[in-house]
Amino acid sequence: MKTTLIRRTLLATAALVAILPGIAQARCDKLQNAKAGEINIIGNSFPALAHIAKEMETCTQGGLKVQFKMTPQARTEIEQAFASQGKSAFDAAVVSGGVFTNLNALGQIQPMTDLVEKYKAKYKIEENMLVRVNGQVMAIAFMQNAQNLYYRKDLFDKHGIKAPTTYGEMLAAAKTLKEKEPSIEFPIAQTFSKGFDSQVEFVNMFVGSGGKFFKTGSAQPDFSSEAGIRALENMRAMTQFMTPNFLASNSDDVMNQFQQGKAAMGVLWASRAARMDDPAASKIVGKMEFAAAPAMAAGGKSATHLWWDGMVMPKNLNADRETVFQVMMEALDEETMKKGNDLTVWIRSAYKPTRFGTGVTASMRAGAPTWPTEPYFSLAQGEIGKVVPEVLSGAMAPKAALDAAAAAYTKAAMEKGFIK
Amino acid sequence: MKTKTFARFVAPSVLLMLALMAAPLIVTFYLSVRNCVPDMETVKVTQSGPFGSSESITQRVKVDGTGKPITLCKFVGLDYYRSVLGLSASAASTAAVQDAPPGDSVQPAANNRSTEFVGALRFTLLYTFVTTPFVLLFGFLVALGVNHSTQKLRGTFITLSLMPFIITPVVAALSIKWLFRDNGLIPYFLSQFGISVFWMAEAWSARFLIILYGIWHSAPFAFIVLYAGLQSVPQDSLEAATIDGATRWQKLRYVTLPHLMPLIVFITLIHLMDSYRVFEPVLVLTQGAFTTSVQYLTYYTLVTETNPYKASAAAVLTTLGIFVLLIPLLVKTWKEQRRGA
Repeated sequence: MKTTLIRRTLLATAALVAILPGIAQARCDKLQNAKAGEINIIGNSFPALAHIAKEMETCTQGGLKVQFKMTPQARTEIEQAFASQGKSAFDAAVVSGGVFTNLNALGQIQPMTDLVEKYKAKYKIEENMLVRVNGQVMAIAFMQNAQNLYYRKDLFDKHGIKAPTTYGEMLAAAKTLKEKEPSIEFPIAQTFSKGFDSQVEFVNMFVGSGGKFFKTGSAQPDFSSEAGIRALENMRAMTQFMTPNFLASNSDDVMNQFQQGKAAMGVLWASRAARMDDPAASKIVGKMEFAAAPAMAAGGKSATHLWWDGMVMPKNLNADRETVFQVMMEALDEETMKKGNDLTVWIRSAYKPTRFGTGVTASMRAGAPTWPTEPYFSLAQGEIGKVVPEVLSGAMAPKAALDAAAAAYTKAAMEKGFIK
Repeated sequence: MKTKTFARFVAPSVLLMLALMAAPLIVTFYLSVRNCVPDMETVKVTQSGPFGSSESITQRVKVDGTGKPITLCKFVGLDYYRSVLGLSASAASTAAVQDAPPGDSVQPAANNRSTEFVGALRFTLLYTFVTTPFVLLFGFLVALGVNHSTQKLRGTFITLSLMPFIITPVVAALSIKWLFRDNGLIPYFLSQFGISVFWMAEAWSARFLIILYGIWHSAPFAFIVLYAGLQSVPQDSLEAATIDGATRWQKLRYVTLPHLMPLIVFITLIHLMDSYRVFEPVLVLTQGAFTTSVQYLTYYTLVTETNPYKASAAAVLTTLGIFVLLIPLLVKTWKEQRRGA
């Protein structure tokens, strides 16, 4: 009895193993002049990219082997590989607009203009997907993301409040809800945790206040300004309506507070929106609405930034250039996108917007700018990130904190050759 | 032994040490006294993409005839060592301090760095000295309990008790965070009694959670070692003690514990070393807000320090620190070897 069972299981497994590659190979089998060998690609881990990576790994035509490394901290590895004197460990990478600027400024990315011309028709490459610098195609973008406003439509309607369009209105709405709505103790939830999260929040509000990070045409810091103080003071004002655990609130925590119905509004990444309606994890299915991130003042631009994610190839790549490009495009084609339509906000025109993407579109219409593109920007961002938690916890005054960050940034920028 | 034979025996390990330890250290030292920067120039760039087209004045690297980026390198001596140790506020940061209007308190960045280090060191020591006794105590109690349980249940008990030690530290720290975050099981349970604590909002509670994690995670190690030790407690001594009319407590105190003493010392030593490297709970629970450990600072420096030359200086200093820590041990070994010879 037992032996038959084991034999059957073994047979079934063998059959499955035999069939699987066959199914997979049905796609990605029309590469032109594909050179055999290994192709290594790297990117941050998020659902839409997992979808694409799976697609790429099916490219096994003629002895090709694609390995996609997904990690939470791809940036450091990408920068090191692309800057290497020898061959890069990765033949392509998926980067956000911010990382792209750095790599491009350092002359480490290779143009793909010729390949795009050659394969434009085959893969239906749309002009909107092409990131061009001085006319040359340097990256191929496939999705966009932004932090936008999440708000509980049901509670806002109940208390006759309109969705806030400015942070002033947001604070007023928070006050009303805190006083009148018994189910909500902390109306606002936003990613103020130490590190990347609070850095990004600061950048959003600083630029939303009309701030300039650098003196025009130079790498000298200019963020210890009125706009900087206004951004920090706004963040501090918000904390009184947030859980006291705000310095540990990352995207996961904020998402959880929304799903549990403990918070009523906040600015969060659009890529988390679909999870609001996941009945397995959310108590508020269908109740969350999405809108443009609030502006810092009435009539101002939406205080958030537009991000794109795209593919780049290093100058020092190891594998065959044309093969790598085709593998990337196979995984970014219309068919792949359609299969994962709801995973993110795709750039391809065939994308059918869902209600979860409405916040990004609204933010874009409300004038949200693209993420700063100076190659020295990430240095400034890192130094600011060190002092923001100090201000939020009351350990440092806004002006002193920004001065300290500006001094530390200047030092780092001099060491890196951006300030001579 | 002839010197020649001796040399032949030692050669492979000496060569390996040179290749794997000395050579990288020399390269790292070479990097740490230099600084290379891309030769940047200010240019006007037109960039277009999914969000439209824009023109901006920014910096780009200069390239040579073959399209390779140009890099400028120079010798900087021990500058980076001074800056890592916080001995010098560089010219840049002093200038910025002078620029600030009088009356504004601006801390030089270097000063900031060293107080950060002292804070991290203090917490690491606190963590070490608070967790060690509890790890020993709980480990010993569980070992005694399992030792006295019936044969049937023993396997299950051992597996269950070892769980916290087996779970990957990051996952374990995450589960502690999820227990204590807003709407977590414990805040919810406490709220039923009208008690409201925000565990990640203040220094004391954040530290408490990290220490709690440390005890929970390390006690199984003490347990399994002590449990093994309990198996080898001499039964004849125990029987002799019983005949002499010793109580249970006396047998524990005068027979069992002295027998386990070398193991207790061993656990303490291992735990002291582990504690010095405490890292995962600091990273997971608060991302370093309120409290940091020495290891977290090292990680933070590595991740956020984008300047490889300065990072090299930090690496050389860390290696030197380990040598200083090892000196007493080396001296002791040296003395023992000589006595043995």
